[in-house]
Amino acid sequence: MSPGRLAVHPSHLIDQSRPVEFLFDGRTYKGFEGDTVASALWAAGVRMFSRSFKYHRPRAPFAMTGADTNCMVRAGDEPNVRACVKLVAPGLNVTPQNVWPSLNADLMSLSSLAARFMPAGFYYRTFMRPKFLWPWYERVLRNAAGLGYVTLETPSTYYDKEYGFAELLVIGGGPSGMSAALSAAGRGARVVLLEESPYLGGHLRHERQTVETATGERLPAYQLAARLSDRVFANRNISVELETNAFGIYEDLWIGAAKRDTRLLKIRAQSLILANGAFERPLVFENNDLPGVMLGSAAWRLLHLYATMPGRRAVVVSANDDGLRVAIDLHAAGIEVAAVVELRNDPDPTLAAALRARGIDVKVRSVVVKAHGRRRVERVTIGQMTDESPSLSGTVDVTPGTREVVKCDLVTVSIGWTPATGLLHQAGGQTAYDTTAAESRVTQLPERVRAAGRVSGTHDVTTAMAEGEMHGLDAAAELGLGDGASTELREKVASLKATQLIRNSSAVHVRGGKMAFVSFDEDVTVKDINDSVAEGYSSMELLKRYSTLSMGPSQGKYESTNTMALCSAANDEPIATTGSTTSRPPFHPVSLGVLAGRKMEPVKHTPMHDWHVEHGARMMNVGLWKRPEHYGDPAEEVLTTRRGVGLIDVSTLGKLQVIGSDVPELLEMLYINRWRKLAPGRVRYGVMCTDEGMISDDGIAANLGADRWYVTTTTGGADGVYENIEWNLQSGWTFDVHVANVTDHYAAMNLTGPRAVDILREVTDIDLRGDALPYMSVREGHVAQVPARVMRIGFTGELGLEIHVAAGYGLHVWETLMDAGRAHGIIAFGVEAQRIMRLETGHFIVGQDTDALTDPYMANLERAVRTDKPDFLGRPSLVHIEQRGIRSKLVGYRMLDAHVVPPEGSQIVVPDSTRPIGLEIIGRITSARYSPTLDASIGLCWLPADGCEPGAEFTARVRGDLLPGRVVSLPHYDPKAG
Amino acid sequence: MMQLECPNCGPRNVSEFRFRGEYVERPHDGADPARRRAWAEYLYFRDNRAGVQKEWWYHQAGCGRWFLAERHTKSHAVENTRYWGGEATS
Repeated sequence: MSPGRLAVHPSHLIDQSRPVEFLFDGRTYKGFEGDTVASALWAAGVRMFSRSFKYHRPRAPFAMTGADTNCMVRAGDEPNVRACVKLVAPGLNVTPQNVWPSLNADLMSLSSLAARFMPAGFYYRTFMRPKFLWPWYERVLRNAAGLGYVTLETPSTYYDKEYGFAELLVIGGGPSGMSAALSAAGRGARVVLLEESPYLGGHLRHERQTVETATGERLPAYQLAARLSDRVFANRNISVELETNAFGIYEDLWIGAAKRDTRLLKIRAQSLILANGAFERPLVFENNDLPGVMLGSAAWRLLHLYATMPGRRAVVVSANDDGLRVAIDLHAAGIEVAAVVELRNDPDPTLAAALRARGIDVKVRSVVVKAHGRRRVERVTIGQMTDESPSLSGTVDVTPGTREVVKCDLVTVSIGWTPATGLLHQAGGQTAYDTTAAESRVTQLPERVRAAGRVSGTHDVTTAMAEGEMHGLDAAAELGLGDGASTELREKVASLKATQLIRNSSAVHVRGGKMAFVSFDEDVTVKDINDSVAEGYSSMELLKRYSTLSMGPSQGKYESTNTMALCSAANDEPIATTGSTTSRPPFHPVSLGVLAGRKMEPVKHTPMHDWHVEHGARMMNVGLWKRPEHYGDPAEEVLTTRRGVGLIDVSTLGKLQVIGSDVPELLEMLYINRWRKLAPGRVRYGVMCTDEGMISDDGIAANLGADRWYVTTTTGGADGVYENIEWNLQSGWTFDVHVANVTDHYAAMNLTGPRAVDILREVTDIDLRGDALPYMSVREGHVAQVPARVMRIGFTGELGLEIHVAAGYGLHVWETLMDAGRAHGIIAFGVEAQRIMRLETGHFIVGQDTDALTDPYMANLERAVRTDKPDFLGRPSLVHIEQRGIRSKLVGYRMLDAHVVPPEGSQIVVPDSTRPIGLEIIGRITSARYSPTLDASIGLCWLPADGCEPGAEFTARVRGDLLPGRVVSLPHYDPKAG
Repeated sequence: MMQLECPNCGPRNVSEFRFRGEYVERPHDGADPARRRAWAEYLYFRDNRAGVQKEWWYHQAGCGRWFLAERHTKSHAVENTRYWGGEATS
């Protein structure tokens, strides 16, 4: 046995033969393997772990479950770690947080003295005005009301996502959860069991009383835990996830869980059993937050899991048999029990006798009134309850003259349990407060969801196991495995549940004092609740938001029932009608790293990607694709291409293979222009609109002959166009066509410039002589010995040959063309040069120069719109628009100063003295570039249709300056004219 | 995350699907000046009802089938799904 520790026992989680040294607040402490930071520090005599949120009061572990926030520390780089569940590790550097300048001499604790100036809603009311001080308020508040802080120097950690499927998912590895898992698995169901602790067994693991199994065998609780746990781990149908916190239940039993705080687990379950227990309920009394005041179950955990003495001299507050057992176990561990303060007047006679036999004084009908002490509990005042106490809403008064003060360094509180119904509510279950049982009971559960054990109000271990077994069998039957629970088992569970002892006291709050805390997270007192209700924030949802109750890191786990009771008291209405607040994910705090996880965004590379990178391309994102922006000097790429020849990778174009006898009919419906007369071997440019008559995409369609067509879309448009075609074909269009999205199956490149034909001729069997391949035509043949489609199309004004080959041949053909072109001075060019050249030619880009309110008339496509066709997508709207006329128009412009390129999006303005800035916005610039070909600042812009003819001048507002520009006719540059 | 029953593939995560909105009939004579209101209603007016709504879904990350679902907009309960013009499956 180590100093300060109890003798080794099989229920312990620590290994006293393996010491571990770690740091806390700069000092070295010794714990053991299996210790949490809190248990090791408590054993070493540390009684102050943190300072509270608002008043900076000293705080220490209260529940030892990982759910309260009194022991939040910084562990290494990680803020807001709960010391009561964080395992010690060699060299782990634990530091307190929210202290200034230090844990022991915290100056902000003076704010306790100013408490009467900091009522509920203090932040909302005080820091409202003046508005210009908001940034300063924010800084002050962040420093004062700090949780942990994040350092940007923290090395990045690997977080991942895991997807799981379960026929039956059981949340909670206590007696009822394990019984449910075992019975369902016994029928062949594939079960996943989630448990937040590093062990199975739940509360059995830290309890020593004798329990009875289904077969009538009697054994200590911790031994039953071990036996069930062994059976669960041995069962091949059950997969157990330890240290896994289920934090959210979403539609159709989609469960989110954080696994060991490093992995996001998403599970789809066919059936769900909630067996996630209950939280022990605190009693609200003056100074109930002092270190040394803790839940009875926290004392049990320290004693029986971590072999740690919770104190030397204890006052045990009890309102159920758990309290009496805590007193017995404390005494058995060698702790002096100064008094058992028993709220009931009829404690279990056997346990009471056992206590008397140990010489322990049980004071019935008494209660703790106040804890005393500066940094830890040193004494408590206790007293006799009045005959009327507790009131219906849980208020307790003490008979005058019955008070006495008892010295102690430990106060344990065992007055009842709050079922952990947060997840149950998220799953769609409903509960109602049962006044007799003094807890919320499940009234309704959705299909495929069941609840067993303490969460469903079943407190007795034997009953909980029977209930788990019953639900496990029923869940299996629902999956088609077995016949479900027997009538006998069903009746047994019902009768056991009906006759079980009530373990909850209706007592909530001992009247008197200002520092009686309901929420430790946010330092909310009884007075704050009363004040909030008096101010009109009387419903639970309003009270929550105004007082910040249950909005802290523990999400109300330890305060929900007490809040409900106190709210009902302040409103003078029954608890049952007060209601509770809505439970939303996350039920348990989750690290942002777990939620963010690994980046899962796909990136698409063209077949020539590596070539571009090796040749110095600066890559840019275009949708999911990476494309070369340029290879160093886009202006030079433009000039070289216009003088000689260039090659650009256009593999990212959307590509559709469309086959069938009705392809022209399909295209007639999809595009605004005509297709029926497009002969085999010919290509046409087309524009697509939505039914609103707005431009949605553009591209070319090539008639390859024999009912085979090849259609291209914009780089980002392929999926949308394909889906829309499919939607039409699957919802009424009865054309004989088959459409396949072959975007990724073909590599494409455009050989551009006056010398393009000279190069391609050397590596193709397609006839390029004279007019054999006229403008806007397509041929199939071979390029660089591989099958290829060659289209003569252009968006640069220059002769352009677009070559499409199977993706696997892309790099081969690209390199062959680059080799063949070397003697002609070929250059690879990127997106930037392409954009400059297309702008010189006056082509718009869908999505850049157009938006969701651009119709073809506005974009100078009136000649393409064939409203004389019987129908096509957008036709009715375009007929109406044609009649109505247009208000603005896309036109080309030149800035008068050739060396000023306005940022895209710049406004076009006219003077208007009625406006605050003296200007009215009448248009905007959508594309702007310096043209190396023309030595001019050119672009496209939107102007009112009235007065935008070539020659009209306008004013652009560029970074506050007003600069003149002039509308010009398109194209800006035409090589054939030059 | 809710599940949706693809008539072709069975129940799948809703993230595999794309939603196209309420089912609306396209008027065949929308260009008729007398039918401008009907055409505008087809384009811009939706019932947005709190109840069972017939709507278009596309199994984008799956089989590529478009189908109609009758979904209760308050509970997300999908009463049935079917291909256009096909039999309802539940």
